[in-house]
Amino acid sequence: MVSKEEIEHVAKLMRIELDDHTVHIDRVQKMIEYFDILDKAGTESEELIINEQPLENLREDKYEPYGDRLIDKLKHYKEKFIRAPKMV
Amino acid sequence: MNLGISALDYIEAIKNGDFTIEEFVFETFDQIKKVDGKLHAYLSLNDKALDQAKELDKKRKAKEKIGSCMGMPIAIKDNICVKGTKTTCASKMLEKYTAPFDATVIARLRKQDALFIGKTNLDEFAMGTTTEFSAYGPSKNPWNQEYVPGGSSGGSAVAVSALESVVSLGSDTGGSVRNPASFCSIVGFKPTYGLVSRYGLISYANSIEQIGPMARTVKDTAFLLNVISGIDPNDNTTIDNHGEDYLKDIDSGIDGKKIGIISEMVGKGTDNAVSSATKKALTKFEDLGAKCEEISIDMVDYSVASYYTITSTEAGSNLARYDNIRYGFDFDLEGYEFNSYISKARRNFGPEVTRRLIIGGFVPSAGYAGKYFLKALKVKSRLTKEINSAFKKVDFLVAPTVPILPFKFGEKLDDPVAMFLIDFNTVTANLTGKPAISVPFEISHGLPIGIQIIADAMQEKSLFQAAYALESTTNLPKVPL
Repeated sequence: MVSKEEIEHVAKLMRIELDDHTVHIDRVQKMIEYFDILDKAGTESEELIINEQPLENLREDKYEPYGDRLIDKLKHYKEKFIRAPKMV
Repeated sequence: MNLGISALDYIEAIKNGDFTIEEFVFETFDQIKKVDGKLHAYLSLNDKALDQAKELDKKRKAKEKIGSCMGMPIAIKDNICVKGTKTTCASKMLEKYTAPFDATVIARLRKQDALFIGKTNLDEFAMGTTTEFSAYGPSKNPWNQEYVPGGSSGGSAVAVSALESVVSLGSDTGGSVRNPASFCSIVGFKPTYGLVSRYGLISYANSIEQIGPMARTVKDTAFLLNVISGIDPNDNTTIDNHGEDYLKDIDSGIDGKKIGIISEMVGKGTDNAVSSATKKALTKFEDLGAKCEEISIDMVDYSVASYYTITSTEAGSNLARYDNIRYGFDFDLEGYEFNSYISKARRNFGPEVTRRLIIGGFVPSAGYAGKYFLKALKVKSRLTKEINSAFKKVDFLVAPTVPILPFKFGEKLDDPVAMFLIDFNTVTANLTGKPAISVPFEISHGLPIGIQIIADAMQEKSLFQAAYALESTTNLPKVPL
């Protein structure tokens, strides 16, 4: 069983504040509990299918200017730089 | 004017000059005015649509050639980018976001002169099966407004069902096209993974989701697939289909074909009315000359847990971009430290998205990845093998699209596991990348039931033939508007 503290810790890492909704934690716990059914699948020895893409299938790596100045759509920017909050 | 005609009949009527594009689009908006206050299929409408219709009529009058869609009205799920229009994903987070570009599917429809009527409602970021998780309120099922329309592409299904558009586009991550199609008695199709470009579809779980057409007839979905499918340099997972024509030979029938009924999908948990409709559908298939047998796919029992583990994990990274710096709300930067600023913005996610993000952080995290994420991937792997070997024995796999009938608002809202199980019959096609279609088959006590047909990868052509054959055996009542 997953503890509430563990879930709260992950929520923080996902940048989700939980101070005002413990109800989420209860429900997340129930959802994760359901996933325990995976233990019964008996697929431990199964190999994973990995999709490989040959490099020549990728499009050419070249710069294509976008046209409109996308940065104009943001509120906080200066010249070609985005403004972000202070890192402390 | 009959707003309930199929897309192909609409195109024929325009060619014959039975009515103009403007007349039809005008009537469509009139219908929206009449019913959408109650049904809430749309989040926003294209106020230029009438002018665009007039423009197309003018071109036709001047004998200029116009695209194959001939101004056909189409509604677009609000997680697909249409240049210059709001694209909200039914989230407060993207309330003010205007898409600066067209998704590839939109560019292709535009080139064929389809007319975008508006953007339709969905569960926030396509996470849900009822539209109850839309930040802007749910859509209502036109068959009975006390019932959910299904989801997440609920608005797109309602728009087509309630004659507010001829066709629509949805997106299907775990059944989000097929489920609302089944609940609203229309056709919904999820293509082979990679057949339709995802460029401009706002990502939720990118390794399994596809954009899919929703329409009144199987032929219309095949026609739409002709327009939107094919390789796209902007989506590296797309497959070259060499311009396949999915409409051609659609009436070939299914005489001599083999059909497997997935026993796990018709067992316990299936509503009696749904079971009996499925049995009837199998009799119809046999009448059409197909042979039916039961097939067991063991991994189906674990598919929903695998699906939610994988999709939540992908959502965790795909939704990391909503940090209020590149996307999201606009509030002042002053007085915040980096992390608290982002956390504050992310409070604007609704409850279901918040929960899935927490799960998405948890199941692949150090210490738990082996128990959850890795096991989920292994189930996906084994399931794919089982399905592939089933397709060595049969041509199609069949099951009810949803194991239960449409239900009332609020009925399952507080039980996450009950919500999970609604997806029981649809997630397999996504996890294995196979094409699947929901065909409206019966109305039971005023509520629609759809039958799902799954085919092997890239076998869309024969899938449409089977769906068309099944559709031809039905004679369903009109939606009671």
